Amino acid sequence: MAWEAAARVRNRYRRRSPGEPRAVGYLYLLPALAVFVLLVLVPLGQSVWYSLFDWDGLTPATWAGLSNYTGLVTDPTLRAPFVHALVLLVFYALVPIAIGLLLAAAMSRVRVHGLTFFRTVLFLPQVLAMVVVAVAWRWIYAPDGVLNQVLRLVGLDGLTRSWLGDFTLALPAVGVAGTWVGFGLCMVLFLAGVQTIPRELYEAARLDGAGAWQEFRAVTLPALRPQVAVAATLTIVAGLRNFDLIYLTTSGGPGNSTAVPAYEVYHRAFETNQVGSAAAVGIALTALIFVLTVTVSRLVEGRER
Amino acid sequence: MSRPAPRRRVAAVLLATAALALAACSAPGSNDSSAPKTKAPSEVSTDVAKAGKVTLRVWDQEVRGGQNAQMTKLNQQFMDAYPNVTIKRTSKSFTDLKTTLKLALSGDTAPDVVEVNQGYPDMVSFVKAGYLQPLDSYASVYKWADRYPSSLLDLNRVSDDASHFGEGKLYGLSQMGEFVGVYYNKTKLKQLGIAPPTTWDEFTTALAKAKQGGQVPIQFGNLDKWPAIHTFGVIQDQLAGKDEVRNLVFGKGGASWTDPKTVEAAKTLQDWAKRGYFPSGVNGVGYDDSTKQFGQGKGVFLVTGTWAAADLKGPMGDALGMMPPPSASGSDPVTTGGQSLALGVTSKSAHPDVAAAYVNFMTDAKAAGVMQDTGNLPAVPATDAASQASGVDADILDGWSSLNQDNGLVPYLDYSTPTFYDTLTAALQRLIGGQDSPEEFAKTLQADYEKFQQG
Amino acid sequence: MITSRRDRVLTYAVLLVFTVLALVPVLQVLSAALSSPGAAGPGLRLPDGLHLENFADAWTRGQFGQYLRSSVLVSVAVVVTAAVLSTLAAYAFGTMRFPGATVLFYLFVLGLTIPEEAVVIPLYYDFRGVGLLDTYWALVLPQVAQSVAFGTFWMRTYFAGSSQALIEAARCDGATSWGVLWRVLVPSGRPAITTMLVITFMWTWNEFLLALVMVTSDSRRTVPLGLAFFQGQHSSDTALLAAGAVLVATPVVLVYLFFQRRFVEGMLSGAIKE
Repeated sequence: MAWEAAARVRNRYRRRSPGEPRAVGYLYLLPALAVFVLLVLVPLGQSVWYSLFDWDGLTPATWAGLSNYTGLVTDPTLRAPFVHALVLLVFYALVPIAIGLLLAAAMSRVRVHGLTFFRTVLFLPQVLAMVVVAVAWRWIYAPDGVLNQVLRLVGLDGLTRSWLGDFTLALPAVGVAGTWVGFGLCMVLFLAGVQTIPRELYEAARLDGAGAWQEFRAVTLPALRPQVAVAATLTIVAGLRNFDLIYLTTSGGPGNSTAVPAYEVYHRAFETNQVGSAAAVGIALTALIFVLTVTVSRLVEGRER
Repeated sequence: MSRPAPRRRVAAVLLATAALALAACSAPGSNDSSAPKTKAPSEVSTDVAKAGKVTLRVWDQEVRGGQNAQMTKLNQQFMDAYPNVTIKRTSKSFTDLKTTLKLALSGDTAPDVVEVNQGYPDMVSFVKAGYLQPLDSYASVYKWADRYPSSLLDLNRVSDDASHFGEGKLYGLSQMGEFVGVYYNKTKLKQLGIAPPTTWDEFTTALAKAKQGGQVPIQFGNLDKWPAIHTFGVIQDQLAGKDEVRNLVFGKGGASWTDPKTVEAAKTLQDWAKRGYFPSGVNGVGYDDSTKQFGQGKGVFLVTGTWAAADLKGPMGDALGMMPPPSASGSDPVTTGGQSLALGVTSKSAHPDVAAAYVNFMTDAKAAGVMQDTGNLPAVPATDAASQASGVDADILDGWSSLNQDNGLVPYLDYSTPTFYDTLTAALQRLIGGQDSPEEFAKTLQADYEKFQQG
Repeated sequence: MITSRRDRVLTYAVLLVFTVLALVPVLQVLSAALSSPGAAGPGLRLPDGLHLENFADAWTRGQFGQYLRSSVLVSVAVVVTAAVLSTLAAYAFGTMRFPGATVLFYLFVLGLTIPEEAVVIPLYYDFRGVGLLDTYWALVLPQVAQSVAFGTFWMRTYFAGSSQALIEAARCDGATSWGVLWRVLVPSGRPAITTMLVITFMWTWNEFLLALVMVTSDSRRTVPLGLAFFQGQHSSDTALLAAGAVLVATPVVLVYLFFQRRFVEGMLSGAIKE
C-alpha cells in the first residue's frame, strides 16, 4: 500500500539515518521532481483553476465560481455518471475480489499441477490494451456474438438481445468486461498471500473437522486481509480511471446509461466545448479516488490494530 | 524536534504549487484571439503549378466503398494534373472525424482541407474560434455561384458574428448531394404482394403487412447514435411539414419541439419500435452492420441516406430500389437532406490558394462525372445524368431532382444548437428503447433548444 | 497435505471454468483473425484455414506498420527516460537523508493516485500554447511524468533495502555517490529495474486517452488509436479488425510471457497506476 509505505518511510527516517545528510540528494532528485511538478502537479492546479470558469475552449472564459461543482449535484446528466461509476465498482472491484478469493481458496486446498499455466492464462487479460478488450467484448455482446450463441445453445433464446444496446443491461455488460480484466490480478495476489499461510493452521482446522467453508472463513480470509486491501485499491483506482473501455464500447450510450466521469471529462472538454465543467468532473473524480483509497487503507489499518 | 510536522509541510508544498499554477495563468482562453487572415479576390492565385512543392493534408470521412473510390480517384487526378502537389489524406468514420476534428484544427499542425459538418455544433463553432477561412474571394474568382444553387451554398455560410448559419461568409463547398430516402427490396415486396408505396399511408400499411408476413419491416442499427436522427427526421418531415422543421433548425422562432406534430412524430417512431418494425435491439447494432444485413436480404425497407447506395448495389443488384419518403399527398416529397460535409480550408493552412484550388477541383463538373461513375450523387449532377443512369442510381437522381424542384429538402436536425447532436441522439436512443415517453423526449429537446436560444 | 478426491476434482473444475472464461474472448479474436474475410464474424468458431494475409492486409490498409513505428518510438523514449529519472530520484530517497525528503516522497506517492483525466485538459492547452501539440513530445513528456511517480516509488524500495555495508564499503574505496549508484547498486538491482521497465512499457504501449487528445496526425498515431479508428472504418470487416487487434496486443503479450514474474511482482507492488 502506498500509504503504509509512506508511513514506513517516515518511521525509518526517525529511527535511523542512513548515511550523513547529503545535499547532493537534491541534485539526484531534481530532474524527476521537475518533470513531475511541471507535468502533473501544475496541470492539476490548472484543472482546479479551469473548473472555476465557464469556458468553451474557444473564446475567453467567464468566472463561474463553484457553479461547475454545484452542477455535479444538481444536473442529472452529471450526477448519473458518478452513480454509474459506483455501480461499475461492484463489477470492477467487488466481483473480481470474490472470484479471486474463490480461486485462491480452491488452490490452497489442493496441490495444483500446472499452476504456472493457470496463473499465466488467468492473469493475461490484465496486460491487454483496453482497445483490444473492447473489440473482443463488442463481439461477445453482438446480436450474433458468443453470449447469444451460448444462450441459444442452452435453449434460452428468450434472453438473447443486443447487450450493449439495452438500457438496463449495457452498464452491467461493460462491468463484466471489467471483471474479466481484473479477476486474474486479484487471484495472483491472493495466491501469493495463501502461500505464506502456515500449513499447520490448515491442518489444525481440519483436525477440528472444519469443512472447506469454515476453513476459508477461519484461516484463509483473515490471513489475506492485507492482500484484499491492495486488490481493492488497485481495482478501485483502475476502475474509476477507466475511460478507454466506455469510449470504445458504448460511448456512454444507449442514451447516457453508461456514461462515467472519466468519459464525461473527455466528452465535455473536447467534444461539446464545456471545458470548465469537464475540469470540475476531473477534480471531483480525483477527490473520489483519493477518498476511497484512504478509506480502504484506513479500514485495514484499523482492523490490524 | 524543530522540523514542522510532515503533514503541515505537505500542505505547504501543495499550496505553493497551486499558487505557482494559478499565478501562471489568467482566465483561460483570454489570449487566443486569432482572426483568420483573408485575401482579396485580386490577391488570389489560381495557378497551382506555380505554387512550388506543396504537401496538402486533407481530412475526410469518405470511408465507404463508393465515396472512398471517388475521393481516391479525384485525389490522384489532382496530383497528376499538378505533380508539385502531394496529397496526404486522412479518412475516418463520421463519428471519429467529428470527435477529433476540433482537436486537430486547434493545433499548429492543422490539416489544410477538412470536411466540416454544417450547423452549430461544428461549422459555426469552428468559425467562432477562427479555425476556418472564409472562401468568398475564391468563390468570386472561381465563380462558384454559377456552379451551385444558392440554397446549397447558403447551408455552408456563417454570419459575420458567428451567431448563426445560413447566411454570411462562405466556409466550404460540398461535393455530393444527399437525401434520406427509403430503400426497398423489390424481391421481398413482390413476395409480400405489396407495390412500392406512393403515399405515407401506403408506406405505413406496407410496414404492417411486412410484419405480418414475418419480415423485418425496416432494417435499422442505431449503436452509432446518429442514424436515428434520419429516421426521426423523415417521420417529422411528413407529419410536421417542412416549414415547421426549417423554423426549428434555423431558429427562426415561432416553433417548438413540444409542438403536437413533433410529439406525434416521436410517438410514431416509438410505436414502430414497439410493434417490432425494427430488428430487436436496434440500439446495439452498428450502422454498417445493419446496412450489410439489408444488403444480404434481411429487411424490406431501409431508411437512410443516398450514401448507402454504392455499398448496397453490389450485393442486391436489380432488387434494390430507392425513393424519397412517400409524402402524405403522394406528391411534393419532403425529406432530411442537403449536401455532404463541406470541404473547408483551415486558417492555419500555409497554402490556402492550393487548398482552394483543390476544393474547386473536387467540385467541378468533371469531378461530378467521377462521382457519378463511382455510384455517388453529385450535388449538381450533369443535366443528362438521369438518362445515362439505371437502376438505383436513376432512382436517386430522379429523387434528387424532384426534391430540388419542389424545394423539399429540410436540413439535418442536429444543426439546431451546439449541443443538439448529443442531446438529440441520446434522447432518440431513449425514445426507441422505451425509456422516455414522446412527451419527455420533446421536453428534453426543447430544454436544450431554449437554453441556446436564450443564451 | 491430505486432500480428498472430491476436493481435487472441485478445484480443477473451478480453475477450468475460469480458464475457459479468460480464454474465450481472446480465442474468439484469434480465430477471427485467421479466418477468411467472408467467414469471420462475431461468435466463436474454428477458423476456416490459416488466412495470414489478414495481417498483411491490416499492416498496409490499416497502416499498422506506421502506427507500430510510432508506438515503439514513444515507448522507448518514455521507458528509458522515466527509468533514468526514477532511478536517480529513488537513489536519493532510498539512501540519503536531507531535509524535506519525506514531504517530497509524499508528493510522488500522491502522484500514484492522480488520474490522467484530472490533468489532460490543461496539458492539452499548455502544449498547444508552446506549439508542441501533435508532436511526439506531447505524448512522451506527460507519460514520463506519470511513470516517474511509480518508478521512484518502486525503486526506492529497492535502494532502501540494499545493503548499507555494500555502500559503505564502496565509499571507503573512494567511490563517489555517482559511482556507487552506477557501479554497485544498479548492476545488482537488475531484477527490480527490469520490473520497472516492463511495467512502464506496458502502460505506455497501451495508453489511449493521451494519444487520443495530444496527437492528431496519422503519422504520429500509436497503435491503440490506430485500432480504434480502424474499428470505426471497418466495423463490419471482422477478419481485418481482429488481425489489427492481434497486432496491437502481441508485443505486450510477448513481454508478459517472457518476464512474467517481474510483471506480476511490479503490478502487485502497490502499483496504483491503472
